Amino acid sequence: MSGKRKVSREAILGILVVAFMAFLALTSNFDSKSGIYSMMLDVSPSIVGAIAMSMVIITGNIDISAGTILGFVAFAAGSLAELGAPAWIFIPAGILMGICLAGLNGWISVTFKVPSIVVTLAMNMVHLGFYATFLPNAGWVENLKDNFTWLGRGRFFDLVPYIFVIALLVAVLFMYIMKNTSFGKSLYAVGGNRQAAIYAGINPDRTVIKVYLVEGLLLGVAGILKATTANEIMPSAFQGREMIFISAAVVGGVSILGGGGKVLGAVFGAFLVYLLSIAMIYLGFQDYFQFSLQGIIVLIAVFVTVTDFTELRKKLRGTFTRAGRARKARA
Amino acid sequence: MQTAHTEVSSTTVLHLEGISKSFPGVKALNNMAIELRLGEIHAVCGENGAGKSTLMKLITGVYRPDSGTMSLNGAPLVVHNPNDAYAKGIAIIFQETSLFPELTVLENIFMGHEVLRPLLGGLAFLPVLDYPTMRAQAKEIFSRLGMDLDLDARVADLGVATKQMVEIAKALSFDSSILILDEPTAALTSREVATLFDTIGKLKAHGVSMLYISHRLDEIFQIADRVTVIRDGEHVHTEDVIKVTRDQLVSWMVGRTLHNLYPKEDVEIGEVVFEARDIRQEGKLGGVDLSLRRGEILGLSGLAGSGRTELALALAGLTERDSGEILIDGKPATFRDYRGAMARGIVYISEDRQKYGLVVPMSVSENITLPLLHRISGLAGIINRGKEGTISDRYIADLSIKTPGGDFVVNNLSGGNQQKVSVAKALAMEPRILILDEPTRGVDVGAKSEIHRIICALARSGKSIIMISSDLPEILGMSDRVIVMKGGLKVGELSRAELSQEKILELAL
Repeated sequence: MSGKRKVSREAILGILVVAFMAFLALTSNFDSKSGIYSMMLDVSPSIVGAIAMSMVIITGNIDISAGTILGFVAFAAGSLAELGAPAWIFIPAGILMGICLAGLNGWISVTFKVPSIVVTLAMNMVHLGFYATFLPNAGWVENLKDNFTWLGRGRFFDLVPYIFVIALLVAVLFMYIMKNTSFGKSLYAVGGNRQAAIYAGINPDRTVIKVYLVEGLLLGVAGILKATTANEIMPSAFQGREMIFISAAVVGGVSILGGGGKVLGAVFGAFLVYLLSIAMIYLGFQDYFQFSLQGIIVLIAVFVTVTDFTELRKKLRGTFTRAGRARKARA
Repeated sequence: MQTAHTEVSSTTVLHLEGISKSFPGVKALNNMAIELRLGEIHAVCGENGAGKSTLMKLITGVYRPDSGTMSLNGAPLVVHNPNDAYAKGIAIIFQETSLFPELTVLENIFMGHEVLRPLLGGLAFLPVLDYPTMRAQAKEIFSRLGMDLDLDARVADLGVATKQMVEIAKALSFDSSILILDEPTAALTSREVATLFDTIGKLKAHGVSMLYISHRLDEIFQIADRVTVIRDGEHVHTEDVIKVTRDQLVSWMVGRTLHNLYPKEDVEIGEVVFEARDIRQEGKLGGVDLSLRRGEILGLSGLAGSGRTELALALAGLTERDSGEILIDGKPATFRDYRGAMARGIVYISEDRQKYGLVVPMSVSENITLPLLHRISGLAGIINRGKEGTISDRYIADLSIKTPGGDFVVNNLSGGNQQKVSVAKALAMEPRILILDEPTRGVDVGAKSEIHRIICALARSGKSIIMISSDLPEILGMSDRVIVMKGGLKVGELSRAELSQEKILELAL
């Protein structure tokens, strides 16, 4: 029936990532060993976080508190490690923290019928206040030892960080889950056409709670990947990470309206967001101006994924030519 | 084209008896009965609001009946939800699409009932999707439908007719023996309709029984074996299609006698004040002309989706027209949006007052004066509450709106009074031309006749009125002239002397 086959959005994004890297390598010392290493180190938590955020966005929801949840995860894992706990204790503890907090978001949103953007925006503030008020030393954990940092600092072949490999494994696993399980399909259904999902026997409320639980699990992983790269943890520093995740998801082609998008796209999105910030540093932009540029990129990405271009073309038809304007005025 | 009306089997597959269903304020179905036989195409027809859709929603478990019995192949049938209906072999293709635009054809067909396999040999607790099996099943379904469709195409990229085929394939993927089609041709072109009928014919040959809801009578004669007419939620007649005529069907659908409870008075009708020429809107309106005189009530009739509301919106500048001209007092009017239309004295009152007409959490007087803010506010835009009160009190008295006071919140008023507030708000703008979309929908009988009285009074005072209504007696009772719409076109114009329910339906169907 449908004749021409379109190149998938993910393929375009992949090419873009490679082209971007090549460009940076040619114009800077990005291709040095340290450049490549820092990219892999920095992008790993973003990949996992972007996947988490994408799944939530696909169901038509969002999590503004993802950054502050990472703060709690890092605090929980770090404090246990400071007391001498090994990885098999602090990793599950961190993940459990993520699951509980994100699950709470989903539960509140579904039970009290509050839009997730409101719930998670509020929780973001609740978390920040909680750090400062109730955590010892505002949650600051210092002097973390090898029992914690081996994970974030370890590398294969003296180059590839353990955490990068973990992030890629997570990506592969979730690509598989989204494509090959009923759970994955139900996320698209709920976000794409809620009424039709109900008619297909899917319970949207239960699906939303499930997606937040899974998001929490992934935020737990992302938080630990990020935290173990440094020997101190300040929870409030994680605030704002959610914007990176959201940007990565949106740039990666996940529809902000819900119902569409791929894990692979979000992974490439995470790379692109990182490369963009690096490029701006190389180009000598000041720190804060980077935010503006990133914001503009997100805006463009949303525009591209959400806009119905045939409709827009119809609307703009004639706007840019004198004859067209005259025709419009006559009508 | 399938025209072979085969001998109807005598085996009953689905039987409904004594079915009643009420919603707050409305009795949607009353003692309804229908019997579907093996392998037949059974058409269900009736006017707007006759209860067709409610009936289908009962069969598919969207609603539960208040009373009555349903049985499937002789055994009592209880349907909990649409998925349960699917599991029992009953599938419905809804008017509104139930597809997921961002997913592929294959993913859509099996959404919610995916074929699963264990991830690895023994790992039955880790079920994953079995794509090869689903692909094979989907291929088999499409070949049964005699079509070849790219299973990996994104549904958003498909045309309306192809989407409908996906819906049908989805229904068949449940091994459905009963298929319900709710106005399946509403959005299709005639060529696409032919393909659909072809498919329906193939399904029938495979022994699928179908309930076919449509108010397009031609289609019923083309494909159905038997037809059931519903009127006001009750079963009127069931007959073999070959034994009925078109006129008979229409008279069954209309049925009721018209009581003259409308206070329409003859008003002197003046010069043409408003004219529309060749109004076009892609896919919605195909070139409509109309003219309206001073003091005239022009009825706009037609079935749901015939383009009545679309025309009204375009006339009021609420939607952009692709082409066409509007003249006021014989001179071209150049307004491009509703604000401009209002300035020229055109006001539109929406059929959905809760959504478009009123700001329900605001008070009665705030609602009435909402379009007049510039007139009642002084320096720096501060609202003069005194002026607000004076204006709203006048309309509250004029239209006898039953409210404890102007500061009463609209949300707490009855439907009829809300509608009157909506009318008051329009009148406060002192329009010359009033477009009323379903002015009495959802209001009780008392309020209804009061609203009719108000409309007549407006006409007497020299205002011109376009009234859209699905309620035929209302159209007949109130209009000086009636325009009948169908498929985005004006299909007829009747003067008051020529008016009859049969004539309007004949044109509209």
